[in-house]
Amino acid sequence: MRKFALALIAALIPVSAMAADFNGTWVRDAARSKPVPYPNYWLTRVTPSVGGNQNQIFVMRVQQSASEVQVSDPLHNLRNLVPDGKPRVSRTDTGMANMTTTAAMAGDTLTVTTVQPYGGMPGNVTVTATERWALSADGTELTITTVSELPATTLNNVEVFKKQ
Amino acid sequence: MTDINRRNLFAAGAIAGAAAGTGIALPTAAAAAATTTAKGHGGPGLADVWGQDFLYQWSPPAEYKRNLTAGPRTIRLSSQSTPRLTGAEGTDYAALFKSMRDGGWSACEAASNAWLERKRPDSEIREIKTQLVANDIHFYGIHCAGNIIAPDPGADRWQRHIITAIHAAEEMGCELILTHAGSMWPNRNWAHPQNWSREAWMRTVAALKRICKDTAGSKVAIAIEAVNTESVNNPWAHKRLREDVGDERISVGLDITNMVFPNVAFRMSEMLDQTFDLLEDQIVYVHAKDFAWNDMLPGMNWTMNGTGNMDYELFLARLSRLKRNPYMLVEFLSTNDEYQQAQRNIRAIAGKLGVKIHNTQP
Repeated sequence: MRKFALALIAALIPVSAMAADFNGTWVRDAARSKPVPYPNYWLTRVTPSVGGNQNQIFVMRVQQSASEVQVSDPLHNLRNLVPDGKPRVSRTDTGMANMTTTAAMAGDTLTVTTVQPYGGMPGNVTVTATERWALSADGTELTITTVSELPATTLNNVEVFKKQ
Repeated sequence: MTDINRRNLFAAGAIAGAAAGTGIALPTAAAAAATTTAKGHGGPGLADVWGQDFLYQWSPPAEYKRNLTAGPRTIRLSSQSTPRLTGAEGTDYAALFKSMRDGGWSACEAASNAWLERKRPDSEIREIKTQLVANDIHFYGIHCAGNIIAPDPGADRWQRHIITAIHAAEEMGCELILTHAGSMWPNRNWAHPQNWSREAWMRTVAALKRICKDTAGSKVAIAIEAVNTESVNNPWAHKRLREDVGDERISVGLDITNMVFPNVAFRMSEMLDQTFDLLEDQIVYVHAKDFAWNDMLPGMNWTMNGTGNMDYELFLARLSRLKRNPYMLVEFLSTNDEYQQAQRNIRAIAGKLGVKIHNTQP
């Protein structure tokens, strides 16, 4: 009985130790979202096409443990965020450059800061993108606001997700 | 005359394009260029990445060493933000050039159609020159419209237009005019199937020879801008054009993004180095754009400077190591705000490298 109780506590620790639980399958509310374009093209002379699944149902899956937040969606490579406030260097999705990602959990908010060449290509201007993940009080709605700062300007984006 | 093999024909890109359809052996210059640039079947002369027995060599090498050392030159920026220098009657040149300077720009050009609309009195020309000096703006060139190999009689009309533009540039103390190889369609922006034929090439060469002859003695450079839809759409064609025209006034108005095809879209660092290695003595000014490949067809679209596939670090570093101070036209954006954003990105990248850009941005 004692062993069972300990095992139960251990199983619950990964999530309960964190202030917010982002686990689950999330569907983006297209009407309330202005997502960051991806791949990260800042097109100037054409209207972005409907590519990148932006006209389809966009589903994001999050698996969270005490040490990691794993995010998968149709646009990005699998993301493994370690919310310990330490910067980590990895390759951009283009495979052409490095980026530095720092994730941190503070209260109910997960903050992810990524510093990388804007389009992930050599010679790009540097962009610092700060994502803030916040849950609604009942945990059924996730809002991710992203502020991208680069010399040219500051870009603001928001994505609202409903839990499935 | 040296014959060349089929592999070299492909590797020589547009040079080969001029002959491949006809089966005609290229003359010595082209053969030499093909031989010296052929590194396999990977496209217009860039080295094979994945071995000669592999397929398209469109992905870049894992490690490409870039020399980002800043040189001694200072770049002067110009733009297509408004108001622009058109030379319209009644222009307040003091206000116009002040607005450019206040916007961080330090150079300008004029479009030939507007500029050649009227003859300016000497007093107006003096006023323009006075205000340029007062505001530290360089009026470096006339950007020409038209199609010098258009179906007759269009070609003659546009060649005369270029000749007139050269005289106008001379009058204003400009260093260059900008023109293009041309298209076999009346509209130069449309790709004609025969644009890479021997006939089209010879029409371009003949047109430029005539322009050089009719403006002999002028010091105004005749800069050619590469355009993807024309025969001069790669650095090797630029080099060959000067050789075939046989006049050192034929120079390069470098527009790297106008040379982009799928085979180099992700190899821009190498493409930049190759272009500057081949043409650095001929480059009289450059266009600054950026691009991404964002469509299913090989559709490249323009992006904000410093955010796309162009390697702006290497681009700026190489410019700063030219033998002359370069002019850089930021173009193809839509609003003045976008031009300011582009300038901020360019200045940020230049600042990181230690590349000097004239003037400061507000």
